[in-house]
Amino acid sequence: MPSVDRPLLVRLLVIAALLVVALVVFPATLGGDWINTFTSVAIYSTVAAGLVVLYGRVGMISLGQIAILAIGTWIATRLSYVVNLPFPVLLLVTGAITCVIGVLIGLPALRLSGLYLALITLMAAGAVNVVLAQIQFPNGGGGFTARTDNPSLSGLKAVPRPSAATGDNAYYRYTVIVCSLMFLLAVVHFASKPGRAWAAIRESEPAALAAGVNITLYKLWAFALASFITGVAGCLLAAQIGQPNTYSFPTQDSLSLIATALIGGIFTLWGAIIAGVFMQLLPFLFQAQWSVNPNFLLVVFGCGLLQVLLSAPGGLIDQFPKDMANLGRLIARKVPLTRQAALGIASILALIVGIVLIVMLKSTPIVGIVVVVLSPVFASLSQD
Amino acid sequence: MSSVVAFSVFGVDWEFLKPYIVLGLALGGVYALSGTGIVVLYKATGVLNLAFGAVGAAGALIAYWMVNHTSWPHWLAYTACVVFGGVVNLLYGVVFGPAFAKRDPLVKMMGTLALALILLGIMAWRAPAGGAFVRVLTLPSSSHYYTVFGARVNLTQILALAFAIALTVVTTLFLRYTGLGTAYRAIANDREITATLGVPVRRVEASAWLGSGLVCGAAGLLLADLYTSLDYTALTFLVISSLAAALIGRLESLWVTLAGGLLVGFVQSILTPYGSVTAYRAATPFVLSIIALLWMGRRRVVVFAPATP
Repeated sequence: MPSVDRPLLVRLLVIAALLVVALVVFPATLGGDWINTFTSVAIYSTVAAGLVVLYGRVGMISLGQIAILAIGTWIATRLSYVVNLPFPVLLLVTGAITCVIGVLIGLPALRLSGLYLALITLMAAGAVNVVLAQIQFPNGGGGFTARTDNPSLSGLKAVPRPSAATGDNAYYRYTVIVCSLMFLLAVVHFASKPGRAWAAIRESEPAALAAGVNITLYKLWAFALASFITGVAGCLLAAQIGQPNTYSFPTQDSLSLIATALIGGIFTLWGAIIAGVFMQLLPFLFQAQWSVNPNFLLVVFGCGLLQVLLSAPGGLIDQFPKDMANLGRLIARKVPLTRQAALGIASILALIVGIVLIVMLKSTPIVGIVVVVLSPVFASLSQD
Repeated sequence: MSSVVAFSVFGVDWEFLKPYIVLGLALGGVYALSGTGIVVLYKATGVLNLAFGAVGAAGALIAYWMVNHTSWPHWLAYTACVVFGGVVNLLYGVVFGPAFAKRDPLVKMMGTLALALILLGIMAWRAPAGGAFVRVLTLPSSSHYYTVFGARVNLTQILALAFAIALTVVTTLFLRYTGLGTAYRAIANDREITATLGVPVRRVEASAWLGSGLVCGAAGLLLADLYTSLDYTALTFLVISSLAAALIGRLESLWVTLAGGLLVGFVQSILTPYGSVTAYRAATPFVLSIIALLWMGRRRVVVFAPATP
């Protein structure tokens, strides 16, 4: 009997269990708005996965992923007005076209890194926003943009969902499966030659160059993969909304995406799932379920981002178990309480307690906000 | 007739463009103002402050509230806006500055993005932007109009341009001729060695945060007026287009930043009368930034970076 790697087995079991819950339990037990929210969670997790490829694996920061998502959505919408492609083909074609555009936007990454790469992707996103605000999303008009100021009802067309999955529940399952395939595509890359090349580039570009890694090829490959994944997510989003418009992509979303991706954990795809949950599920819970102002989440994201930057580069997925283990050891008095450990635990507790307080004390949310803001302060002090 | 001939260069009727040039310089003053504010802090602390716009917008909202909901004198409201900018930046700098000091410029910038998110969340909570309701904060100087080359400009636009120029001149002289300015330049060069020489690094950096915060507040006040409405999201993200000026100045030269800001405003404004591109002229700062960034990275060579502590 071949020996099986136990951690791998555990991981596979966890993934299988999660997929069963997502595909069988959720649609059977949850209502329509919940299912719609979880469709968005899957889509935005996939967008965050693109960021994991770029920043977590290769070390290339991109602040323009929401713009790439918008491009993907626009292309899918535009294509659905000209040709009647089967949905899987539409997914692939949208992914492929977005991939080409993404590689073009990624070209400067061959020359720039760090702060300047972040800025140039931010600027490219800004330019895309200006153009999108002008040409808008297609609504059945003529010409390249297929946009008209007085759309006729007969001209309007929703981006069609796959024929086997037109209902919300079925489309949710379809989205989860497609997004899982995108995650799988990323995992296959990480575990094979490109993954090793990316790791080498991230650790040291000159060392990778000396070892014979084709830096140009693999950097562009990373942009191609991330843009393909994001383009497919854009196509899924287009079919989820039906008739997308520019309001689907508010400007602060690019900030929220990078914040949640870093908070979740930029180095693993698990972090991308947490990012999707933070970006889509939490606002839904705040607004629709608990009637709390969802704008408080921006404060939480900001504080969480500061905390991650200061003291937890691996994000929640990496730091939370460590902090809880530390807390357990402290409670069991196995280790003496150092100032740094205390502040680290205080920081993560402040974030959690603050969120709970914001949700519980609806009349005086300021108390919760103050507690949340204490979180990065503790994190900063723990670094001193 | 002769003037028309003189101005008709490159097949362009410059006489016709004159008002747009004046308006462009007024707009350029806005970009230059934010750009120089960003470069000053970057030079002193190595932090590219993307929360510049958010801090200014929050200050402007406070001023708006004081003007419209209290009977306090207006000058007090304007002062509160400037002081608020200084206090917020100082607090951020004192609490988080030291912890970020040894980190990569990218990480420092992301820290300010977090500050922008926090402020955005609080502004959206306290001052929700709803439907047709628009906040307008009008400075008294906006009611004074002048006609320059056929274009109407108000005193606030002139003040913004003058403020940007004054900021550049004062900062240049300050960095060159004062002890504190020398300390800034030393820290920008090497923080550790400067500390070894006995410069109180943290206090000097705190003063840079305070100074740039006051500039933030003042810029917020002017921008809230110039931007026609006090839209905090737009003001927060205006900083991204203003970065064009700073990037043209390579985040280094205050004078080139000033000129860059004017150039961006000039280009954006003279595109207005040309029908085919007029709708896309808002993309000017982004396109110019991208060109500037590509130019900066044109001669990149792969080197072993010194190990960061």
